[in-house]
Amino acid sequence: MSDGPGGKESRTGQNGPTENGREPGRTYDQATYAVSDDENEPLLTEKRSDTVEPGDALPDDLTRDDLTLPNPEEPELARHYTRLSQMNWSVESGPYPLGSCTMKYNPPVTEDVAADPNGAVHPDRSADSIQGTLGLLAGLQDYLARIGGMDAVSLQPPAGAAGEFTGIAVARAYHRANGDDRSEVLIPSSAHGTNFATAALAGYDVVELPSAEDGRVDMEALEAAVSEDTAALMLTNPNTVGLFERDIEAVADVVHDAGGLLYYDGANLNALLGRARPGDMGFDIMHYNVHKTFATPHGGGGPGAGPVGVTEELAPFLPNPRVEATDSGYELVESDEAIENVHGFQGNWLVLVKAYAYIARLGDSGLRDASAKAVLNANYLAEQIDLDVPYGPFHHEFAATAGDAAAADVAKRMLDFGVHPPTTNWPEMVPEAMLTEPTEIESKQSLDDLAAAFNNALGSSEDERHDAPSRTTAKRIDQTSAAREPRLSWQALEE
Amino acid sequence: MSHGSPQQGGSPYAPHTDAETAAMLDAVGVDDEADLFDIPDPVAFDGEFGIEPRSEQALRREFSELLAENDDLTEFLGRGHYEHYVPSVVDSLSKRSEFLTSYTQYQPEITQGFLQALFEYQSMLVELTGLEIANCSMYDAATALGEAALLAERVRSADGEVVLVPEILREGKRSVLENYVDGAELRVESYPTEGGTADVDALADAVDEETLFVYAETPTVRGCIEPNLAEIGELADEAGALFCLGSDPVALSILEEPASVGADVVVGEAGVLGLPTAYGMGLGMFACKEEFLRQVPGRLVGASEDADGTRAYTLTLQTREQHIRKQRATSNICTNQAWVALRAAMHAAYLGADGLVDIAEDCVTLARDLAADLDDITGLRAPVDDRHHFREFVVGTDQPAGAIADDLEAEGFAVHVLGEHRLQVCITDANAHAADDLVAAFEEVAA
Amino acid sequence: MSFDTPDDRKYLASHEWATTDEPTRIGISDFAQDELGDVVFVELPDEGDSVSHDEPFGVVESIKAVSDLYAPVSGEVVAVNEALHDQPELVNEDPYGDGWLLEIELDDESEFEELMDADEYADQIA
Repeated sequence: MSDGPGGKESRTGQNGPTENGREPGRTYDQATYAVSDDENEPLLTEKRSDTVEPGDALPDDLTRDDLTLPNPEEPELARHYTRLSQMNWSVESGPYPLGSCTMKYNPPVTEDVAADPNGAVHPDRSADSIQGTLGLLAGLQDYLARIGGMDAVSLQPPAGAAGEFTGIAVARAYHRANGDDRSEVLIPSSAHGTNFATAALAGYDVVELPSAEDGRVDMEALEAAVSEDTAALMLTNPNTVGLFERDIEAVADVVHDAGGLLYYDGANLNALLGRARPGDMGFDIMHYNVHKTFATPHGGGGPGAGPVGVTEELAPFLPNPRVEATDSGYELVESDEAIENVHGFQGNWLVLVKAYAYIARLGDSGLRDASAKAVLNANYLAEQIDLDVPYGPFHHEFAATAGDAAAADVAKRMLDFGVHPPTTNWPEMVPEAMLTEPTEIESKQSLDDLAAAFNNALGSSEDERHDAPSRTTAKRIDQTSAAREPRLSWQALEE
Repeated sequence: MSHGSPQQGGSPYAPHTDAETAAMLDAVGVDDEADLFDIPDPVAFDGEFGIEPRSEQALRREFSELLAENDDLTEFLGRGHYEHYVPSVVDSLSKRSEFLTSYTQYQPEITQGFLQALFEYQSMLVELTGLEIANCSMYDAATALGEAALLAERVRSADGEVVLVPEILREGKRSVLENYVDGAELRVESYPTEGGTADVDALADAVDEETLFVYAETPTVRGCIEPNLAEIGELADEAGALFCLGSDPVALSILEEPASVGADVVVGEAGVLGLPTAYGMGLGMFACKEEFLRQVPGRLVGASEDADGTRAYTLTLQTREQHIRKQRATSNICTNQAWVALRAAMHAAYLGADGLVDIAEDCVTLARDLAADLDDITGLRAPVDDRHHFREFVVGTDQPAGAIADDLEAEGFAVHVLGEHRLQVCITDANAHAADDLVAAFEEVAA
Repeated sequence: MSFDTPDDRKYLASHEWATTDEPTRIGISDFAQDELGDVVFVELPDEGDSVSHDEPFGVVESIKAVSDLYAPVSGEVVAVNEALHDQPELVNEDPYGDGWLLEIELDDESEFEELMDADEYADQIA
């Protein structure tokens, strides 16, 4: 995988054009399968469809008139989706340094164990008959509790946002159980939009906390904002620009003294694996983004899983049921004080298996090495790029600024250099932000390629950036007309 | 090990050699990785998790042994989580790493493949529901229902705050709904059912100016095909409430088209395609009328053009979403079930209309035949509900149902226990091969 | 870059304008449309609704941003620019003309005194 000492580094970036006149750094040409200038791979419906009327299994008044769907033969189906796959960037294509997304390599062995047919059981099976499934879930609950420094864990939430909702609903239930009617959730202005949306979904008013000059929580603003209306403060640590909240104990005291709870958003947990635990910092509730920290595949947008950990005091409020080990085996236990459910059954089983397998594969030493290399990679990459990074010391990610250039255009230009660009224009505290998180999986060579892509994109002319990308399947896409005249189905294309 | 190998005792997925690590530390200007962490001592963790790293082989052995603890039962289970055979080609294509290991399509120029697949998925739901808009997934049927109720709260100017659901709604689904509407201060109330479907007269009495949202399912959780959908839709419409229909893509391939019975929103479990039995993991279907476009929760893929004038796909109308609209977003969802949606679309395309309709008709006839066979057994009555059934039906038992289920489990079969003398049995193409064996087992244990 | 600030109307700090002549029209400034980028959707109240000075009355959306619209002056909505439904780009192309948002029946002329004139507003965005 890596060249080792003395390996060739001819692709790396900052030495000017190479002998053949080529710009330094990697380039990339993505596949296209065009049938005309107007169209790449045709839609399924443009290939072959069939229309069928229901037969006589049911009376006519219970059935539809007919149904039309694409009907490619299997070889054509295979080609269609293989072509689409080749028109799609992925972690296995190259660097994918989206800040706050933790795009790690997804070990195939975790796929294999998740595909075990013995694990394909229905959620209404009796506990006695699925001791293996329950044992696996109990094991994952235990590992997550240890890693987060929490006392109890629910695996039910099917994504990070669902984990947030679970956690805030737990806080709501806790306050209600105390006869305490609280109406506000505090959130730093630099936080991910999901935190705000989650608090609103749970019926809370959002109070935004400005950041201090150093990019961390502004203690004075926090003290001013906290009150007997404060249900919870939602925080990531390290925060969105990668900084550790050094005053976290004081933050916890301020919130707890007001009777509020401290919520940990697990988006950035990869920075801290084996080095600090939310439970030890004073957090009462946390969610884990297993599709970030524990390398379960993002699958083009999901599925994920967002288990929630809490302190002992809050454990009775976690959604029903949870798995418990007893003398007679694993049981599903329920609590009278539990919040209502956040998933129709018990969450995203396949994802949970993969997360458990990943943790077991790495163990203590691997998890600790993951955070070490994630932080080293971010720091090394930041050293190699020509962009300023206004806030530090950062950990697993950094928010560079594109300066006078438009971050969105720099990102589009980077696509031509064989990498995926970082998250752009967020957080807002950094102008023209490029929030970059290479994760531990990138080698020095690939970080050098990534740096070359940054620098080549920044060094390109404004016109080149504006016209980019040029080597991807689609050139720059017209977002404006997509939003002004939404066409969201092939039926809409025919109108 | 050779000098160039990654460090020992580290993550197997961090590729750094010792020499590379040293060079990188040098470039950063520190001696040790630990120097890069700005963690105050009082909150630093210097303990152990006590998690032993496993080799791949050890990992596979351990997980295989653990899951082998599950009893090998032939499941005749449904009630919201269903299995239809998923063809191999769906597995092999969906597991291509270009799909599996990609992120949300925030750079659409380089992720056209997934975007097109999701656009196709949305389009299939448009065809199946007859509604104009479908999003590219929610977590599952239950959370999709919760989101639909909140959509109603946003789009209806009426003051109503009551969400009406059938009394037989699956408990877990109702619980999720309660959770979703709590913050919006809506109230979930039940309407009576009769023979496994809505009691339309009772529903008419229950609907009033307080009603914001009327939810009905077809098939219902008892497997009954709802015969009065159009009437339910009219009741909702007259009250100014939103009519939300719960179903799934297999059932919709033959049952009445939701748009034709006045559905405003369709939710349900689209994981009946593409997803094998997975301990309840799902794929939330969400489709609605075009007039609600700006209030739809979740991601939407739209068609546009690129700079060369070629058709291209992109996530669109993102101003609805949490990363832009924050606390005023239409939902907090970001990560969804995109890869499951990809699989469902592949499965639907594999089947085509012909194959899908065949499977759906089998769901009717298999259930009908199995119910008849069970009804012939002394001590059993099936189906209990005088309705047409889809996949599943309720069985009345003379003997205690729990004891029968335990005995069936000993014979290698799993069925639902609904009550003291009620079982529920679900049959699809995935377990139909064992139907005769199930009947034989029932004959042994039911009398 | 300099932006148009016509002096036949007055401005709110949040970049909305109202004409001082009858009928009272409300819109957003050249500066505001430029900051937003391509407008893709405008959400406006219905005729007969009331709008209040410095209170939100609608929303304007571009691809990447959503902004509340604040009423410079109070009154009852007597006309809504229906053309924006199909052509939201009018807000970008002609913010002071065809891209107007509302016409209102003014409640209280004295509210104009709380608004900026063109020069003051030009200073604010300079």
